Amino acid sequence: MQQEKFSPEQSLQLIQTMINKTRQDMSDNSIYFLVWGWITFIGCTGQFVLKHILQYEEHYHVWWLVVIGIIFSIYQGSKDGKKQKAKTYVGDSIKYLWTGMGICYFVLSMLLTKIGWGADVFPFFILLYGLGTFISGNILQFKPLVIGGIIAWALAIGAVYVAYDYQMLFGAAAILVSYIIPAYLLRSRNKTANQ
Amino acid sequence: MTPSEKHLTEKESLDLIAMMINKAKNSYHDTGIGAMMWGSIIAVCSLVKIAELQFDFKLPFDIYWLTILAIVPQIFITIREKKERKVKTYDDIYMDYLWLGFGISIFLMIFITNALFNVWEPMAIEYNQLAGHSSPYDLREFIAPLFLLLYGIPTFVTGAACKFKPMLWGGLLCWTCCIITIFTTIKIDLLLTAFSAVFAWLIPGIIMEKEYRKAKKGLATANV
Repeated sequence: MQQEKFSPEQSLQLIQTMINKTRQDMSDNSIYFLVWGWITFIGCTGQFVLKHILQYEEHYHVWWLVVIGIIFSIYQGSKDGKKQKAKTYVGDSIKYLWTGMGICYFVLSMLLTKIGWGADVFPFFILLYGLGTFISGNILQFKPLVIGGIIAWALAIGAVYVAYDYQMLFGAAAILVSYIIPAYLLRSRNKTANQ
Repeated sequence: MTPSEKHLTEKESLDLIAMMINKAKNSYHDTGIGAMMWGSIIAVCSLVKIAELQFDFKLPFDIYWLTILAIVPQIFITIREKKERKVKTYDDIYMDYLWLGFGISIFLMIFITNALFNVWEPMAIEYNQLAGHSSPYDLREFIAPLFLLLYGIPTFVTGAACKFKPMLWGGLLCWTCCIITIFTTIKIDLLLTAFSAVFAWLIPGIIMEKEYRKAKKGLATANV
């Protein structure tokens, strides 16, 4: 049996290799984080500018930007799907987590269609940004994601106490610390590691 | 953690490999006590809340505080399970962070909904007094869907990652019920929450516990 040849150090090395491989995969796929992160960031700040500064009534139209994200994800997803990639258990865990988060965002959007997007919707989205990144960061042992998740949760609490207009800025800040900055850090870290 | 930071014993190493092999065989064995307990508590809380609305009485405390009280035995159970297991596998670490994140999110969701409710309630009362009819926007209608939304995440991910179908379907059921509750009254919302708790946690918990005991018995027999 192979078990006898597998030393304790090798076991830990195997796990570490899986984590590193998933970090690399996540860094390769960070384009999704960045595209969605920037779309949400522009959406939040754009809506704030249109509503609060320019006092434009149909300020919510800025969220049509999401269509670009969907088209991009379908195109990029079909392209990536053709590439054969080695599967790891850690990679699968991350995949299941973000599949769950994706379904969750979709269900929340349906829920908010009924509640009304003018209601206090941002704390709920910010809460979910924090959840996904906190778990991912811990699985990947990547501190910026963990810290980003915790800051997002703090921003979710803070957003409850401000007017709707300012909640948009809290949303923008949350996406910046939980998606955009960690994605860039993960990219640059893996770039340095690969050199 | 790097290899130099922690040294596994040979037995721990073999346990780790066994866990990975079990993973490949799709046989996940864990105690279902936690899931059973959470399933029962959420179902009971929801049913008590329905009774309060149906029979027009109010308990001196919010029944959902029971969920906070349930955290204490949950911590003891988790510590005991971990001690029994001796070695912390990758699986345990993943599940710990998943459920820790969920626990924090539930706490935050309670906090956010309460804070929003405190703002909404006086406005709704004022609206009622001025307009002569209740406000068309009733925040209470959306509390159950928001919690069902959260319940779905760890249930679905646990089911998918551990290849444990009852929980995977349970998670999807939570989200389906969440969408249905958008269109139903508060009483039906609570009934669907109880239904989800039974099918997403209680029943999978019972199945998990049965399989765990069977696996433990099999291991004991093999060691005799």
